[in-house]
Amino acid sequence: MISLFEPIITPLREPFFIKALIGGSMVAVVCGVVGCLVILRRMAFLGDALSHAMIAGVVGGYLFMKLLFGIEAYAPAMLVGSLIAAVLTVFLIGFVSRLSRIKEDTSIGIMYTGVFAAGVVMVSIFRNYVHIDLMHFIMGDVLGMADVDLWASAFIAALVLSVILLFFRYFQLASFDPIMAASIGMPIVMIDYVLTTCVSLVVVSAVSMVGVILVVGLLITPAATAYLLSDRLDHMMILSSFFGVTSIIGGLYLCFHLDSSGGGAIMLFCTFQFLLVLFVAPRYGLLVRWIKLRRIIPQQLAEDIIGTVARYSPISQAKIRKLLPEHVKIQRGIKALIFEGYLCMSDSGLTLTPEGQKEAQRIIRSHRLWEAYLQHVGTPSEEIHPKAHSLEHMHDPSAVEYIDDILGHPVQDPHGQEIPEDPSCREPGAIVLLSQLRSGRKVKIVKAPKSGKGSELQPGEIILTGNRQNGGKIWVVEKHSGQLIKLDHHAADAVIVECI
Amino acid sequence: MTINDSAEPAAIEVENLTVSYGPKPALLDVSLTIEKGLLVGVIGPNGAGKSTLIKAILGFVKRDVGVVRIQGIPAEKAKGLVAYVPQRGTVDWDFPVCVKEVAMMGRYGHIPWYRNPGKKDWEMVNEALEMVRMTEFSNRQIGQLSGGQQQRVFMARALAQSSEILLLDEPFAGVDAATERAILDVLDRARSSGRTLVVVHHDLTTAAEYFDRLILIKQRLFAYGKPEAVLDENLLSEVYEGRLRVFSNINKTQLYR
Repeated sequence: MISLFEPIITPLREPFFIKALIGGSMVAVVCGVVGCLVILRRMAFLGDALSHAMIAGVVGGYLFMKLLFGIEAYAPAMLVGSLIAAVLTVFLIGFVSRLSRIKEDTSIGIMYTGVFAAGVVMVSIFRNYVHIDLMHFIMGDVLGMADVDLWASAFIAALVLSVILLFFRYFQLASFDPIMAASIGMPIVMIDYVLTTCVSLVVVSAVSMVGVILVVGLLITPAATAYLLSDRLDHMMILSSFFGVTSIIGGLYLCFHLDSSGGGAIMLFCTFQFLLVLFVAPRYGLLVRWIKLRRIIPQQLAEDIIGTVARYSPISQAKIRKLLPEHVKIQRGIKALIFEGYLCMSDSGLTLTPEGQKEAQRIIRSHRLWEAYLQHVGTPSEEIHPKAHSLEHMHDPSAVEYIDDILGHPVQDPHGQEIPEDPSCREPGAIVLLSQLRSGRKVKIVKAPKSGKGSELQPGEIILTGNRQNGGKIWVVEKHSGQLIKLDHHAADAVIVECI
Repeated sequence: MTINDSAEPAAIEVENLTVSYGPKPALLDVSLTIEKGLLVGVIGPNGAGKSTLIKAILGFVKRDVGVVRIQGIPAEKAKGLVAYVPQRGTVDWDFPVCVKEVAMMGRYGHIPWYRNPGKKDWEMVNEALEMVRMTEFSNRQIGQLSGGQQQRVFMARALAQSSEILLLDEPFAGVDAATERAILDVLDRARSSGRTLVVVHHDLTTAAEYFDRLILIKQRLFAYGKPEAVLDENLLSEVYEGRLRVFSNINKTQLYR
């Protein structure tokens, strides 16, 4: 058994490993919490910028103490210096993006590379005074953490965590809805500054471990991983911290056993962790999405099946397959439609339920109206049917109504087949235009023109609709007295009736 | 302008309000007084300053000239007296926050920073969710709701804020007819509980039916009053610049609905 746990226990005997584990976990927890706000507010690039810019501050702080007091590598001064550099960068970014037409992302890119470059140049000019290993900052050195780094990290972690936890509601609302936050008197500009300062602090404490290049990953990757798994900000922060710590642990073991770079191993582990969650996350994962997509029956398939069953009911599955050669998932489609209550399976074959019949009527109406419309706009007759077949799936009610209206509410399509009435004109109490009705309907007048055609009709009166005349262009209604009244399209549109 | 001190102050008073973004004013010399307990629609073409007016009443935009008073108190001191329902397009629907948490945000202005939401706050949140009929969804993440439900969550937040005045930016945009009815129902109930509501609205065909008063605005205030008076064809053609063909059908469309 001992040999099994040996790879886990051996590193724990090394003090530097323990130190890295403790320091790294502290930084990871606070990175995770702040990172959630960073990704929700789309500040990831800013985090990257701050980590680079702080190099200049480190050099500045180093030089300041060395030249004025002769103290070598005084850590607090380097820390303060890097904070000043970070704040200065934020200020410069805001200055450029607010006062010129340069957009914020460009402005971030310009300013942080500029400040970073200043740091690099300073290090090289003063290379005789400054004993800073640039590579140490760029790549980080998690296994070589000094005690002072550990203390600084602990202090920063405690400070930032307290601020975020105490003012959680402020950060939550200001990130989610700044206008509302301002309207109840929250100091949103102040909150922005506090958050940016927190990000700077966290970045500063993480750079000594994972390095300038990878620090933004430690900030956002665990947060993004948690984002895929949680629907509440507090849960997301907890999960994000957890993933941060697991990255540190996993990464450190990886680095110990492979003898690789510490920061690299941590971020590699962190990224794999993200990719794994990205695939298997129960709600927002790719796997689930893929399965869902496969399950969805395309609307077009569903409608084609219903239309086919309506025409040939009862019908067998094999026949449907023969009639719809262009579709592949027919069996699954039929199953889904039975499940949703549109079709039912009997001994003689598939038939429509009442719900299915309603749907079928809607599809047929849409199809035939589109056919009439295509003929109306001069489409060659051999193209009418296939075109209408695809257009029938565009059955937005207002679009169909519009076509119905410009065609003069036709009762027949170009092949002489009946166009069914709009199903909503059948519901008792529905208020519709007289022009939309077919013959043989008893309805109550709600509104009629005061003068001209149709003025013979009185509101409240019950009338009976008759067959259209003159190729469907003249509407005929019978008053209770037996008097027949003829209306053209315009007049029939002006009469509003209630279905009874 | 003199205010009768003995009378209850009007819900919202706007005096000579001018707001600009750059050289072009978004609002120019707007003055109006909205009495308590009314459901008021704000209409006008795109870019007419409808949202700016709402934000000015909220105290969220810088005023160049003018005064906004909420229940007699200058807007900059009246934080929290006005509740706001944002336009749906401006909300991040992927934000990890669930329905009851959004409603609880309405209480944030009443909870000091060192305290957690108390029992009374949760009661008010539940009451507000009940009023918009969203109780059963209280643990849902907001992105998993339909458009109308999302709108209602934000209305619950505004109600939980227990403000007398509610401002809504296009609550009817992009919802179906049934949802529109449901939202209108909530607005009606809020009004009958004595609240004042100001609603940015884009659909002229329903404006007369929905609101007690209409504000017709395009930079300047063109009219404020009863819908019959504001929906005057000449006035509308002046504001909408000849894009008026639509309006001659208003009556027909309205009845057909």
